[in-house]
Amino acid sequence: MKIHYYPGCTLKQKTTALDISTREAMKRLDIELVEPEGWSCCGAEYPLTEEKIAGLAAPIRVLRQVRDEGGDVLVTTCSFCFAVLKRADKAIKDDPLKHKRINAYLRDDIQINPLTKERTTGFEDYNGEVKVLHLLEFLRDRVGYLKIRERLKRDLKGLAVAPYYGCRVLRPQKEMAVDEPDSPRLFEEFLQAVGCAAVDYPFKQECCGSYLSVSLPAAATEASYRVLRSARMNGAKAVAVTCPLCFYNMDHRQDAIKETFLDFTGLPVVFFTQLLAWALGVEKSMLGLGEHRVPADSLFSEAPATEVRT
Amino acid sequence: MRVKLKAGRDQRKFIERIEELSGENVFACYQCGRCSAGCPMASEMDLLPNQIIRLVQMGLAEDVLRSKTLFLCASCFTCESRCPKGIDMARVMEAVRHILDPKGKDAFGPGEISPELAQEVPQQVLVAIFRKFSK
Repeated sequence: MKIHYYPGCTLKQKTTALDISTREAMKRLDIELVEPEGWSCCGAEYPLTEEKIAGLAAPIRVLRQVRDEGGDVLVTTCSFCFAVLKRADKAIKDDPLKHKRINAYLRDDIQINPLTKERTTGFEDYNGEVKVLHLLEFLRDRVGYLKIRERLKRDLKGLAVAPYYGCRVLRPQKEMAVDEPDSPRLFEEFLQAVGCAAVDYPFKQECCGSYLSVSLPAAATEASYRVLRSARMNGAKAVAVTCPLCFYNMDHRQDAIKETFLDFTGLPVVFFTQLLAWALGVEKSMLGLGEHRVPADSLFSEAPATEVRT
Repeated sequence: MRVKLKAGRDQRKFIERIEELSGENVFACYQCGRCSAGCPMASEMDLLPNQIIRLVQMGLAEDVLRSKTLFLCASCFTCESRCPKGIDMARVMEAVRHILDPKGKDAFGPGEISPELAQEVPQQVLVAIFRKFSK
């Protein structure tokens, strides 16, 4: 199966662990990932006011490119990219005025082929032809857990992992419509499919502090602490995330969390794709574990999972 | 006894502008407080989300525009998913930020982040915060 894949800015630079583990895992499932030619940053934030529609141009340009390359599905792993792309696509389909204005703007977009220097312009309108899927959705709906189970090479022995959805995958519920916003099952089912035990805990869809991480670090430290503590109290040996920013707030911020909240002793944070890749038999060196501040190596050892220490 | 509040011209203008920008009907709010109850940043705020929307209903622009709350909203949409009246509070917050003085100071601009931190954080957070909190 060949599928369009949008890594986004962060996966290409800072959080390559999410990108390489995704690529390795997909190889094991016989899925070829194709990046849309000349993709740009999605904008990270979907514009929330009716007058700031310029923010729709970048995601729609990416989606139009996927369509022009013959794709009808775009898969992404970063929750921010997923939300922006999916909401922009929905806005174009639901709002004729936005459709008209964004397409009018993008029609005269010029693309230059990096090799031949050939210029292309006069693009066809984008009408919502591409379906944006989060990799978790794609695995559930297009690959199927049955196929994943058939391909498993390692037994994760029911490792207790707390699924962390964060904000963007589930909400706003009207637009994302991935799962129930307050009692989701998507991530849990995925963890069970790869051989983990999904820990149920009340903070799985709470906010990690998001971008307040740079403007008000103390607030993000506290928000991330609440999530991690809740996961730990409910027996988790690790927290699984989908978003590079959740990862940053909960992993890179753990020193600050430990300094502020003395009861907290640490908990590894991993990407869901690292668990998937590991279960599918990918070598440890291809998981990007060097990017973790909180060592997660012990989770990925051939030794029985009962020996994992957190 | 029934007391009827009537918005003046300036107040009406403010309310209409917020509704126009956000696309939300702020008068749908009946002050149940679920938005504030679920808000992860409520403890840092000077005005809670339900108080912001009440002040918008009354057209009290000044009180809303000087609130710290506008720059504590992380747009996590927890309030949106729980509002029994279907109001997207994050959109109301964004609409209020939108009408702040365009010549005013950035709430958080590129000068306020140290080069070391800018090197360390994921790119998405820089794009996101400048989109939200600077002009």
